[in-house]
Amino acid sequence: MTDLELEANKLAALGSLIAGIIHEINTPVASILSNNEVVLRSLDLLEKAIAESQTERAQSIVAICRSLASVDKIACERIAGVVRSLKTFARCGEGDIQMVDIHSSIRNAVALTECACKRRIAIEMDFGDLPEMECYPQAISQVMLNLLVNATQAIEGEGKIVIRTRLDDDSIVISVADNGRGIREEDMSKVLVRGFTTKPEGVGTGLGLSIIKKIVTELHGGSIDFESQWGVGTTFHVRIPVRRSQVGKGA
Amino acid sequence: MILEVNHKPSVLLVDDEEMVLTSIRAFLALETEYNVHSFSSPAEAVGFLENSAVDVAVSDYLMPNMNGIQFLARTKQLQPETSRVLLTGHADKQSAVSAINEVGLFQYLEKPWDNAQLLLVIQSAIERARLLRDLRSKISELDTAHSSLKDIQRRLLRAFL
Repeated sequence: MTDLELEANKLAALGSLIAGIIHEINTPVASILSNNEVVLRSLDLLEKAIAESQTERAQSIVAICRSLASVDKIACERIAGVVRSLKTFARCGEGDIQMVDIHSSIRNAVALTECACKRRIAIEMDFGDLPEMECYPQAISQVMLNLLVNATQAIEGEGKIVIRTRLDDDSIVISVADNGRGIREEDMSKVLVRGFTTKPEGVGTGLGLSIIKKIVTELHGGSIDFESQWGVGTTFHVRIPVRRSQVGKGA
Repeated sequence: MILEVNHKPSVLLVDDEEMVLTSIRAFLALETEYNVHSFSSPAEAVGFLENSAVDVAVSDYLMPNMNGIQFLARTKQLQPETSRVLLTGHADKQSAVSAINEVGLFQYLEKPWDNAQLLLVIQSAIERARLLRDLRSKISELDTAHSSLKDIQRRLLRAFL
């Protein structure tokens, strides 16, 4: 697997979320821009009110400014949150092996996915008690993002995604379950094969799952499988050893 | 549900983001004397419209349960004279076109908005709503006058023939 392949797949997954991410940032930006203008105008009016000793008027202007300052704080935190989640995906290639809290990688992927489907799909997280995991964090974040994007695309209209994590012997098991359309019986054997897709052109490349399979198996010595029922939903299970030394050399 | 012409203009804001409501409310409080009613739930805003007349409804597009076009269509049913404005961060032309065609939009604005422009739009939206209400009440006055004239004419004819 080349860095180029990894990068292209990451960009494709992020690209499908970009409209949602823009919307998520645009709303607080719009608020801050307006507030800034209103505060400047408030200062003029406040100066005038003080000069004319209109205490009540001055107090009401101060109250307005206070409410705007608290909105600005919330707005900036919202933008910072999106930027933080995006940062996880900013670097190219595999990066270095690190000890990682897998839950924070999952939360970042969830935060980005929610930008695109917050009003349509509820994402629930049911996390077990896990040790830090030895892995390539960029690549693992990409696996989570891919699985989540796939799940949102499988759900037409409103739905639910549940992410569960648990420790099983020396491996961490992450499962992503959606109540979307499911996979047809005849497609099951092709799902993890490179180039297979049922998505329309421009939506899917058919590479995502084959690349995340490589990330999981070749880079991390883990495994990936799924269960699905047409019309009911799909659950993907990713199993990754906590320590890479336990599986010998990866890719 | 009749608003007196001398009554303070009434503005309805609907956006599922509280921060947007707070920003616009603060701006209007500073610059105008309008009565501003704001709702983060379109369903609650519909409930308000069932009992209170407003001059202009400014709505977001992407909201849970009911989108801005559905909300403004409901506004049109409840209060046909109320001016309808869509303020959206979801800048796709399809939603703009359907908003204009389906609900007879007065203005389509995008986020981030410009306060001066927003104020101008709200001012003219209020003027339009008031002119429409005025027109409607003048027409009904004319109707009344017309039917009483008809009545007089009928009685005159009866008296002389």
